[in-house]
Amino acid sequence: MTVQSETSWGFFGALLRFVVSLLLPIVSIFGLWYLAIYVSDLPSFVIPDPWMVLVSLYENRALIAEHTGHTLKVAAAGFILSNVVGIGLAMIFVSLPLTRNAIMPAAITIRNVPYVIIVTVLALAMGDGFATKVTVVTLAGFFPVLVNTYRGLQAVDPIVLDRMRILDASLWEVFIKVRLPYSIPFIIAAQEITGSASIVIAIAVEWMISRTGLGYVINQGMMAYQGELVYAVALVAAAVSFAVYSLIHYLGGRLNWSERNDP
Amino acid sequence: MSVPVSIRKISRSFGAMQALVDIDLEIAAGEFVSFVGPSGCGKTTLLRIVADLERATAGDVSIGGAAPKEMRRQKKLGLVSQRPAVLPWKRALDDVKFTQKIAGRVGYPAEQLLADFGLSGHEQKRPGQLSGGMLQRVNCASAIAHDPELLLMDEPFSALDEMKREEMGEWFALELQKRPRTVLFVTHHIDEAVLLSDRVVVFTKSPGRVHEVVTIKAPRPRDRSFRETSLFIEITARLRRTLFHELEAGV
Repeated sequence: MTVQSETSWGFFGALLRFVVSLLLPIVSIFGLWYLAIYVSDLPSFVIPDPWMVLVSLYENRALIAEHTGHTLKVAAAGFILSNVVGIGLAMIFVSLPLTRNAIMPAAITIRNVPYVIIVTVLALAMGDGFATKVTVVTLAGFFPVLVNTYRGLQAVDPIVLDRMRILDASLWEVFIKVRLPYSIPFIIAAQEITGSASIVIAIAVEWMISRTGLGYVINQGMMAYQGELVYAVALVAAAVSFAVYSLIHYLGGRLNWSERNDP
Repeated sequence: MSVPVSIRKISRSFGAMQALVDIDLEIAAGEFVSFVGPSGCGKTTLLRIVADLERATAGDVSIGGAAPKEMRRQKKLGLVSQRPAVLPWKRALDDVKFTQKIAGRVGYPAEQLLADFGLSGHEQKRPGQLSGGMLQRVNCASAIAHDPELLLMDEPFSALDEMKREEMGEWFALELQKRPRTVLFVTHHIDEAVLLSDRVVVFTKSPGRVHEVVTIKAPRPRDRSFRETSLFIEITARLRRTLFHELEAGV
């Protein structure tokens, strides 16, 4: 009897903790939001009522869904290309160390040029289409992948390389069977950065040059003083970015041998 | 299968620093030879030259009449390092099979090898789930899984505690009886060298030269009781005196 009641309390306790853990962030976000409205006394197009934002989100659901699709296409293409370029360059750097000295300064330079300049130059060169946006996302995203993958490929224990050499393993075998698996935890860490950054960068580029995507919707909302639409897009963008991060984190955990504890 | 090894006039320099000078050794097929000497005397360097993992500045090595590189190409060399060279994501059985896959030769059935190495029931464990001793057994199993004719061992049991190290040495002596092969064995432990070897090569301190070669005139494998014989005590004492003399010379 005692055990049963303890068990049911344990279950309800866990349920309560779960519900509170879900509600607490929502309460704190909306609480701070209302507090900011009350304290700042800013006009409603700058800081709209949360309820109006939710209404706007519902009323503009078709528009937001359509442009979320555009943003996701740009972000996905940029994310994939970031990986192709980042992992590809890391593989070349490890195989031919001289290429690292030749290419790395250019990669660091691109990394440090303000994105506004990159977007401007690319828009002048290639127009304001899909290719330009994807190129910007790629240029912004490849660097963490390159640096992490390179570090991962170099992280191989030298005694394992001795083992491969004594067995006269080919360079390809060493690469595929040893270097690449060793670098997986590093590559996964880079995906967590690049995945959500791709969405943020895609929206920023759309805001600057595009006629599609969530960035464009934000721009339109600003022009029309529709603060609630801008905030509605912000909610969707944050949710999508968080979902992408969580998905990558989950898939990464499944692939990452360093996190496996199965018997 | 075992092969003889000829080491002729091997020298190795690192810039201005000489690591090895004129090393001459003839090792018979199936012989177990240990290298002992002060730290930095070049014994590991010599092992790596034989393994074709490093180049000699002068001299040459011949294994069964062929160059080390050729023996490596024929997958006839095995290497056991001080730290286990196991792949952290592979289970014990897969690690042993990995050697066989890369070598393109199954020397022994992997399951049987692990069972013989006392690892029954641990085949599906990953490195993080195995103790230091077990991990070194997996390392040894992976090193001989393709049945190499020459086994090169670089302080394989040094990372283990005293009792485990002795136990591993005794186990390895029995293992060699089952699957004999030529072994070159680098160690800091005189008792380990005397227990396991046919001959012990004592190196001078840097630059390394062969100070003397001591033959252990007792049949192998030798068990724990050999440590209590007068021969064991006499040889270990003599080797210890030589090594201390080397260490203290020039201090």
